[in-house]
Amino acid sequence: MRRWEVMVGNKAIAYAAKLARVQFISAYPITPQTSVVEYLAEMVASGELDAEFVNVEGELTAQTAALGASAAGARAFTATSGPGLLYMHHPMHMTSGGRFPVVMAVIHRSVKGMQPDHSDMMAQRDTGWIMLECENSQELLDTGIMAFKIAEDERVRLPTIFAGDGYILSYTAEPVEIPAQEDVDAFLPPYRSKYPLLPGLADEARRVQMEQWGIGQDPQLRWRRQQEAMEAAKMVIREVNEEFYKWFGRRYGNGLVEEYRCEDVEAFIVAMGTIASTARTAIDRLQARGKKIGLVKLKSFRPFPSEEFKRLGAMVKAIGVIDRNISLGSGGITFQEIRSSLYDLDERPRVLGFHAGLCGKEVRVGDIEMICEKTLRAAEGEEVTPLVDWV
Amino acid sequence: MSRPIPLHEIGEKEYIDPANQACQGCGGAIVSRLVSKALGDCFVRAEVACCGPAFMNIRAPSIYVEVFEGAGALMTGISRGLKRIGREDVVVLGIIGDGGTVDIGYQGLSAAAERNENILWVCYDNEAYMNTGGQKSGATTPYAATTTTPIGEYSRGKLERRKNVPLLMAMQGAPYVATASVAYPEDLLGKLVHAKGIKGFRYIHVSSPCPTGWGYDPKDTIKVARGMVQSGLWPLYEVSNGILKLNYKPKELKPVREVLKMQGRFRHLTDEEVDRIQGEVDAFWSRLVEKDGGNIF
Repeated sequence: MRRWEVMVGNKAIAYAAKLARVQFISAYPITPQTSVVEYLAEMVASGELDAEFVNVEGELTAQTAALGASAAGARAFTATSGPGLLYMHHPMHMTSGGRFPVVMAVIHRSVKGMQPDHSDMMAQRDTGWIMLECENSQELLDTGIMAFKIAEDERVRLPTIFAGDGYILSYTAEPVEIPAQEDVDAFLPPYRSKYPLLPGLADEARRVQMEQWGIGQDPQLRWRRQQEAMEAAKMVIREVNEEFYKWFGRRYGNGLVEEYRCEDVEAFIVAMGTIASTARTAIDRLQARGKKIGLVKLKSFRPFPSEEFKRLGAMVKAIGVIDRNISLGSGGITFQEIRSSLYDLDERPRVLGFHAGLCGKEVRVGDIEMICEKTLRAAEGEEVTPLVDWV
Repeated sequence: MSRPIPLHEIGEKEYIDPANQACQGCGGAIVSRLVSKALGDCFVRAEVACCGPAFMNIRAPSIYVEVFEGAGALMTGISRGLKRIGREDVVVLGIIGDGGTVDIGYQGLSAAAERNENILWVCYDNEAYMNTGGQKSGATTPYAATTTTPIGEYSRGKLERRKNVPLLMAMQGAPYVATASVAYPEDLLGKLVHAKGIKGFRYIHVSSPCPTGWGYDPKDTIKVARGMVQSGLWPLYEVSNGILKLNYKPKELKPVREVLKMQGRFRHLTDEEVDRIQGEVDAFWSRLVEKDGGNIF
């Protein structure tokens, strides 16, 4: 039976893993992720969850062990934050390169301190993982369950991160609906790998396995196949999002992006994670004052929904992109990718960039109103400077 | 404890292709052949960066992951995963080089031993990073010339002692730890078959000379390996639940000089340096003899 509980984000993540009936958990503590694996340890200790729980000696090992368990054919999960995610970087490439559908929760922590920004995940941008961003604890729980279904889909077979901002979500309690186990079981059947690392595997499975591991082939083929899987993932994410809605009555936009009050607007802003929650309030206030501006929440950072932005970009005159990250020497990462998505439009909207919330700097409703107002001025044709602001 | 098993008792089935990419006279390829024959049809092989991929063409399910540092974790995951899918009967084997064992992989190795993971770790020890051109490792014998400890006006080769990982594993309480050598296949096969029957963390450290890196004629691999054992440079022993047994115990050890002079990497040694190596070998050997049959703790 579904039920409600007031819980912190980390517990919502643990529930996602439990409801997905993970068979393997590798755990290493790091603030603000730590209590995710503590909750899971309790669930395993009490018999609520029947899984291998391995206390490893570092994140590199946490990732590599999850890879190994997935290769053997088990459903594997781990979680980390900030520097721990950086320490996983090397084996993360191996997990995706081997096409092992490991699911990992990332509780954002800046690489420059304890407080959150998205620099930890952005540093893994090109590791070939699917990356889904969440704005509240319910979304963490729901996305966690969906992540397994997306990762394990035969068209995808890619490891998947679902992420939320540290502290703001990890240690903040809010009501969360816990789906019924039998519904989750029906939505997400047990993982059956077609390519387990086992003696007696059929030749075709062995061939696919060898291809994934790069043995005896065009050396570039693995990159190409993985890119094709990422492209296929866009469709799969949308499907899984819809199927989740049928079972549980909740969906997150189309799974890739979520439009909030974007009907008949002249501009919209883009945000990822908890800033999107704050932005909803700002949009409500501005629309109450007659301002024609909406919000697009970027949920799937990888694969990047460039087609969605092309479609949305054609409808407006200006876009304000909030980046809780920076590629030093270049700029806001989603700012650039959204601009790139719009290039093929005949009439391109103006695109402004805003760096906000780095190292946990507070982003208030007023800050977002300011961002919106600047974006609206650009939509009206005003020459606004600078192109990129620090909020 | 193990009992030596002659090769003909193991059977004729081969798992490794004769046409593998290993160098002529490669000790590691011999290890791979013997290990796979001893384990038979029910094992999976985990491999990290080392010479191992050169003899990867082994007819058993294998996974190669370029996590040089991650062998312990990789095997942990595979073993736990197989348990979850109901295939605990499959032996999880790693044939891991000395770099991936005693240096970069040591943290994960030590942790896997602490957790007593159900895995079989076979270290084939060629005493340096031979796949990358022969750089010093924590397993290199002192005074050896390597490409990162070359001989020069200010250098006499590698100065540090070997890291004795078999004893470290035994001190961590691993259920079964053994040393072995490619020159003593009956001893190695016996240890592998014994290890196969044990559940938990098993560690076998095999001396696997490397003609390319050590500087000897490829036809002499077994001769060099045998000399290492007979001189006490590589004692053969096993530790079962803390009890040590010396498997090769001659009345008298051969002088180390004979085996050292067969190898180019020791060509520069002075008589004084050879004596110093001899002294260290003698001291360690007498301690092993003292402990033989007793508890190492």
